[in-house]
Formats: sequence, structure tokens, C-alpha cells
Amino acid sequence: MDLDTVKTRAGPREFSPADDLPQEYREAATRMIEFHANSEIMGAYLERPFIRQAPSIDRKLAFSAKVQDEIGHGQLLYRAAESLGVKTREEMLEDLANGDGKFLNCFHYPLKSWVEIPMISFFVDGAAMRRQATLRRTSWEPYAHAMDKVCFEEGFHVKHGEDILKELMTGSRKEQEMTQEAFEEWWPRIIQFFGPTDDKSTHHDFAASVGLKQQSNDELRDAFLDQYIPKARKHGLEIPDEPRIRERDDGTYAVEEGDLDWDEFFTIAKNDYEPGLGQINGRKQAQDAVQWVRDTIEGDATTAGGHAPQAAD
Amino acid sequence: MIWEVFRQEKTGGYHAHCGNVHAPDREMAKQFAAIQHGRRKPTNSLWVVPREEIGEIDTEDVAFGGTTDKSYRWATAYNTTGEDAVEVVESEDEQATAERQRGDD
Repeated sequence: MDLDTVKTRAGPREFSPADDLPQEYREAATRMIEFHANSEIMGAYLERPFIRQAPSIDRKLAFSAKVQDEIGHGQLLYRAAESLGVKTREEMLEDLANGDGKFLNCFHYPLKSWVEIPMISFFVDGAAMRRQATLRRTSWEPYAHAMDKVCFEEGFHVKHGEDILKELMTGSRKEQEMTQEAFEEWWPRIIQFFGPTDDKSTHHDFAASVGLKQQSNDELRDAFLDQYIPKARKHGLEIPDEPRIRERDDGTYAVEEGDLDWDEFFTIAKNDYEPGLGQINGRKQAQDAVQWVRDTIEGDATTAGGHAPQAAD
Repeated sequence: MIWEVFRQEKTGGYHAHCGNVHAPDREMAKQFAAIQHGRRKPTNSLWVVPREEIGEIDTEDVAFGGTTDKSYRWATAYNTTGEDAVEVVESEDEQATAERQRGDD
């Protein structure tokens, strides 16, 4: 199939591994899905320490279930990316470990305290869900299938995240102040979740023309603001003065893009942001520390195949 | 001879145990099952199984799991401010439907 045919046919769930697709499509889809998969994994690693720091047994159970879900989403997405035949799962995981794999801006920043959890679990997950809901209509069918499962589970994450926010914002004055501070720190990063504005987005036009992407960064960002600014206010959070938010006559919102730190955003996008390197290396260390588990499992698989592995193998 | 009867209401659904019939052979068991268990309730298909072919294991033999309350795993467990984003509502509805279909409630 040539590129023009792809563009003509592009529609929801139009292409599957049975189709002979041009390299440009395969590469664009791989980049997009690999980025998504890496983000699921890096988000899970960012939140993982807070399973231990959760303030109650209920939170601990729900939070560990959530982190487990995110790792599962990563696995589903690597599978969807792998089916394009451009990169193997091993290559993608290796790139993530050595710092070549790209992932979401928000997961480059360290999480220091429990009050920051709703910033990820409610706002970032809410933003992610908004985007993922549109990707159920992406043209790469295995990606759309993965989104069905992801969206099914994600509602729990967002509502649990909001429940944590509600608890903090109805808690002690100190808790409310700390949550407000965390919100002020995270708010610009959350808005940047949707990436650069349409005119600065390098990949959008192609991805949209072949049906991989269903809505532009600006459309998604605006839809998110309309939904989540009222939510934030309802919980008693004050929207920071910067970046400036305009309310349009019809009650919808738009952000003043120039007020956001795009230098930092693009440094992060290149994996050059110092705290982000800490996240990447931290995950690599955790990965190395449990190498013995993978070795054991793979060892068992070999045994089942009739060959007993020796210590010297 | 006793035959246990399982009824499926709709295509793709589970066959659920609904009672038994006394019959000398499989053919008679199927006819009796159709008469006794397929006339009053919506039925798509029936299974008949000789009772002695069924294996049973109970709490005397083994400690079963499934006693942990996992409601925390579902969006339906959290009451927040309402007016959720449409995709959150959709996810919650899908979860509620799946829960009903599993018959957990």
C-alpha cells in the first residue's frame, strides 16, 4: 500500500498487521506507541515508592493495584508497537534503560510527597484519559484494542486520584496548604502534558493525516481545561496566576502558551533534563536489581523445553 | 439415573446449574430437561451431565481464596464530586456492566 492509499483509507481501526503498510506509517506509529508505552512504565516507577508511603491500608491496596495496572498498560502497548515490525519489545526496553527512549514530560519530575499524588493520579491521569479516549479511534487496530482495555481500567485511577485530592482538601489546614503548593508547582507541567502547540508540533500533521492521531494537541488541551479547571476549583484549589488562563465568552478556557516554560519542555523531550535522568537511571537500577527474577523465569521456561540450564550457562 | 441440568439464557453466556432430571439415558435426559427446565425461563441451550461424572471439591478439602474485598479496584467505589469527564463516566459504566455480567453483586 502506498502512502496516498493509506491517507485515503485512514479511519478508525482501519489497518492491522495483515496490511502491507509503508515504512513512514510504521515508523510514525511505532514512535507514538513506544512513547505511550514508555510513559506508562515511567509513570508506574514514579508512583511505586508511594505504595509504601500510602497513609492507610485502603490507599495502599488501591494504589498498588493502580501501579500494577500501569505496568500492564505498558506491556499491552509494547505489544501493539511490536506488531508494526519496526522495533522489538527488547529494543524498546533497552532504549528506555539507556536513556534513548522518550516519555511524557510529567514523569521526568521527581515526586517528593504524598500531597503530590493527586497531581499525577487525578490531573495527569485525567489528561491521559482524555487523550486515550480519542485513541480508541486510531487507525492502527492493535493500538485501538489496547486503548479499550486501558480506558476500561483508567476510570478507577482517575476517581481514586480525585478521592485522594478530596481527602487532602477537606483535611487539616496544613494539608490543604501543602496540596495547593503542589498544585502550583505541577499545574504548568500538567498543561504541557498535551505537548507543544499545533504550530510547533513536528509530528502532528503526518500522524493526523494517516489517522493515527484523532485530535490535535490544542483541541485536547482545551477540552482538558474545560473539564478540570472547574473540578480543581470545586475541591478548593486556586488556579495559579501564571500561566494566564483566558475564559472565552462561551465559558471555555484557553491558556496563554507563551507563559509556559518551553525551553524546559524541549530539554525534557530530548532526555537532557537532569532530574529526569535520575528517573531513567532509577528505573534501570530497579530493573537490574530484579534481573535474577527474570533469569529464574527464563531458566524455568528452558527447563520445560527439555534443556536444564547449568550455573555456568 | 440422575442427570444435572445447566441452562444458558443467551448465546455466549454461561451454562448455570438449574436442577436435575431422572432419566435412563442421555436422549431421555435431554427431552426431560427441555420439558422441565426449558419451558418457563428464557433458554438458549441446555447441558445434561450424569451426576457421577461431576467432581466436587469443597471447603473441607481446601482453603479457597476470593474472600478479599477488592471493591477498591473499581471506579464505582469512589464518590467524588460528580460531573466527571465523559471518558471517566464511560469507563465507570463499562466497569459496572462487567461487574453485573460476572455476577459479583
